Order: sequence, then C-alpha cells, then structure tokens
Amino acid sequence: MAIRSSVQTKPVQFGKYNKERISSKTRRAIVAYAFLLPVIIYFSVFFFYPIALELWASLRNGLPLVGESQFVGLDNYQQIFQDKRVLHSFKVTLIYSVGSTIITAVIGLILALILNQKIRGRVIIRSIIFFPYMISVVIIALLWGNILDPYVGILNSFLYAIGLDGQYWLTDINAALPAVISLVVWQNMGYAMVIYLAGLQNIPEQYYEAARIDGASSLHLFRYITLPLLAPTTLFITVIGMIGNLQAIAPAYLITRGGPADATNLFAYHVFNVAFDELRIGYASALAFMMFAVIFVLTMIQFKIAGNQVEY
Amino acid sequence: MNVTNDKVVNVSTKFMTYLFLAFTVFIAIFPFIYMVSLSLQTEADIFSGIPVIIPDVPQFSNYADIWDLAPFGRFVLNSLIVAGGITISHLIFDPLAGYVFAKLEFPGRNILFLMVLSTLMIPFFVRMIPLYIMMARLDWLDTYQGLITPFLMSAYGIFLMRQFMIPIPTELMDAGRIDGCTEFGIYWRIILPQVRPAMATLALLTFIFQWNEFIWPLIVVQTTAMRPVTTGLTLFNQEYFTRWNFTATGAVIIFIPSFLLFLFTQRFLVRGVVLSGLK
Repeated sequence: MAIRSSVQTKPVQFGKYNKERISSKTRRAIVAYAFLLPVIIYFSVFFFYPIALELWASLRNGLPLVGESQFVGLDNYQQIFQDKRVLHSFKVTLIYSVGSTIITAVIGLILALILNQKIRGRVIIRSIIFFPYMISVVIIALLWGNILDPYVGILNSFLYAIGLDGQYWLTDINAALPAVISLVVWQNMGYAMVIYLAGLQNIPEQYYEAARIDGASSLHLFRYITLPLLAPTTLFITVIGMIGNLQAIAPAYLITRGGPADATNLFAYHVFNVAFDELRIGYASALAFMMFAVIFVLTMIQFKIAGNQVEY
Repeated sequence: MNVTNDKVVNVSTKFMTYLFLAFTVFIAIFPFIYMVSLSLQTEADIFSGIPVIIPDVPQFSNYADIWDLAPFGRFVLNSLIVAGGITISHLIFDPLAGYVFAKLEFPGRNILFLMVLSTLMIPFFVRMIPLYIMMARLDWLDTYQGLITPFLMSAYGIFLMRQFMIPIPTELMDAGRIDGCTEFGIYWRIILPQVRPAMATLALLTFIFQWNEFIWPLIVVQTTAMRPVTTGLTLFNQEYFTRWNFTATGAVIIFIPSFLLFLFTQRFLVRGVVLSGLK
C-alpha cells in the first residue's frame, strides 16, 4: 500500500492535468449525488413531506388530508391553551418524563459505580441488568400488568403474605403514574448504566492517584473528580431520556389506557387518540407540532453537548 | 475508578453494595422467570389467587395450543418479513450514504448531511398522522410495504457508518482508482469489507428494534392476519379479561429471538448502543 500511495503526487503545475482534475471533480460530484439519490428521495418523501403535510393540516379545521377542511390560521394552537385535558396531559407527561429520567440516571450511575469495580461476575450482572432494554415494551407492559394485577398478581400476594396491604397499582389514581414510571425506570436503568460505564472508563486513573496522594477521601474523589467529569454523560443521558419519554405512547396505551381518570394520559398517547379515535386531524397535528417544538429545543441542546464531547 | 475501594474497606458498605446488587439483579430477572412460569400454567392456576412460581403440572401444551388460538405462526412470519426487510434495506442504504458523507467531496455535502441529521429530531408521533394518510392514499394500509417503507433507512445508521468509515485511509481508495476500480467498486471492494463489524452492529440493533416495533403496526394494520408479533400478542389482552397464560406463552415466543441474539452478540450490541450515544 505504501508504494502505491506514493504515486499520489498532485500534478498541479501542468495545465492539462489541471483541466483533468476539474473534470474528475465534476465526475465525482455526479457519482456522489447518484449514490445519494435514494437517500434524498427517501428522506424527502418519508420525513420532510409528512412534516409539511402535518404543518398544513395544523392550520385547518374539519377533516384536513382526508376530506373537506377550512383554513383557520392559528386557532388550533390557541385552542390548546384552553383545553384542560391537554394541559393536564402535558403536566402528567412532564412528571412522567422528568421523574423517570432522573430516577433512571441516578440508579444507572449507582449501578455503574458499583459494577466498574472488580466484582466477581460483574460481566454477567451487567448483561442481566441491561437485558430488559432490549425487550419489546409490549412484553414488558403485559408482564408487569400481570405482576401488578390486584387480584391475580404476585406482588399483592407477596404483600399479603408478609402482612401488608395490597394496592390497586394501576387503577388507583395516586399509584398509577408512579407505577408506570417504575416500569420505565426498570426497563431503562441498564441503558443508563452502560452509558455511565463508558463515561467512567474515560476518566484517567491518574486524576484519582494524584488526589489520593493529596489525601482526598473517597467521597471527595466522587464529589470533585467523578461527578464533574461525568457531567457530559449525565447531560446526555438526561436529554436522551427526556426526548424518549416525552414521546412515549406504548406505556399508556398498553398498561393503563391513559387512566384512571387521565392520571397516566401521556401527551403522545393523547395525540394518538385525538387523531385516530376522534378524527380531529387538524387539532392533533397542532398538538403534535407543539411537542415537536419542545423536543426540537432539547435535541439542539443535545447536539451541542455531543459536539463538545467529540472535542473532549 | 475506586470509590469504595480505599484501603479501609468498610465491611458494611461492601455488604450493602452486594445486597443492592442482588436486589437489582433479582428485580431485573424475576419478571422473565415469572413469565416462563405463567406460560406453563392453566387458567385455573392463575385465577386461583395463589400465585406459584413452579406450577404443579406444567402445561407444555400451551405452547402447542397457542398456534391454534391465534394465527401466531403468521404473526411470527409477518414480523420476520417486516423486521428482516427493514434490516436488509438499512444494510444497503445506510453504509452507502455513510460512505458518500465520509469519503467523497462534492458541493452541498455539509448541507445534505445536516438535513439527514436533522431527521433525528423528528419524533415518530409527529410523522404518524401524515404517514397514515399517505399509506391510505397509496392503498398500502394493511400491507407489508405499508409496514416497511417508513423505516427504510435511518439518520442514525448513516451517522454510525460514517463514523466508522472516516478513519479508513484515503490512500486505499486512491490505490483502487489507479488500479482502475469504478467508484462503486471502490465502495464495494475496498470500503465495505473494512466496516463489517459495524454493519453487524447496525443489523442487530435495527432488527431488534423493528421486531419490537409496536405503534406503527397498531396504526397501519387492520386485519388480524397482518399483525406482527407485538400487536398480535395484545389479542389475548382484552380490556376486561386477559388470558394471562397464553399472553405469557406468546411473550416467551416473541422474547426468544431477542434473547438469543442478545446472548450471542451482546458485545456488539452494547458497543453499538454506546457509540450511538457518545460518538
């Protein structure tokens, strides 16, 4: 290879070579666009065109995209702020997203700190904890639906057996949301752990050695070295978590149907129902765009962080 | 990193650590064990109100009966076609685009790459309503092409492949050109063989996530026969009555491919998951 690459001298000094370079440049651009053609068509048809359709529909009343409709300007967007069900759903989604994101990150960090040490069987333990992340949310929802079932579920039976009261985990207005959050944490804690482990392994050991020579305690090491150096990882996990959780439909659809009394009526699930059950396409489009704006801002933050991380 | 690994290792801290780990591992693994248990029980066992882990008479017949109760074989076939088709499409297009963005220079490259990346921040539920209507207009509701086409390529896959192709020395490509390789030949014979492990990771992640896909089939499928395993499984889970044992049996069947893939390829998988995040 080395011999061949030495042939690659740039003959700029000769006029006719220059001409050839330009034509080969054009040729390569044509090749590049030919290779990219399927990609350009695909993203235009299945991403940008639908977004344009949705934006158009969000400005209309009636049955945009499927039947008769009238232009109403920003009415649909204004209506959102008077819609108590939507505002409630937004609040639920916020609690759900912030709650599950933070708890997932904290548990993931603790697990990563423990499993980064030389503990026997740590590879297998990591795999077991990571595994639920790879499983379909349908299986997880049905599985926990059974475990938490007030009558046939094993959790309540266990609680009775040790002398405690069982709960209506998924049908009690106060218990349902925390229960759903717990399931999501359970599924994602392994993911947070894996990302944190990667972050921990990027911290140079010398930092700890230097600090230990200066007499720092392990708590100090954690507070002044580990935690600050993991900050980019933490930001990444929380932003990715928020983006994912803000658009969750399946937990509400599968576990609680948004109930009881809208206690787990997640925003994306609400949009799903407004669109496909109530057939209010215009309004559903406006709702989707609102959430899109929130997620857009979060993603921009994440891109910024990712950009910084490449340098780091 | 040795937070608790100081010289003075506190025995009780260590004990608490192991207790916490044991608890977490139990919580992580128990539902799956219980799922297998449920799949071997009779309806009477389940509704007796006394949950058991090891049923008195394991009902292996559940695994035979489920194929008659619902067209479960068809569900598995549907999932294989859809997840398999999408995975193949990703393997064709993602590396090709990744290569163009990593190795070719042409006007408009950065803008095009940014546009591809920008699709990462479009949540699926923003696309789902117009996509549904597009499929309805094409008469593609309830068809394989309707299930497959919205997921043919991904910005994530393109980005991943690009990251792996950037470090490949350009001299290799120049050597190919001098030897008279076509542009496609350079990609096919020189670049692709270098990124096979990355393609394996991409294929695994794509397949598993598509095998698990739930929302889009829920929207676009109308007949029982076209359901993939995920929405097929919910057939046993009705609003007022759930056949838990068959739900669990079906869950075990869906779970097996993911489990086997995970078991044999977890190093690839975990690396892919980490890379998609940190690179």
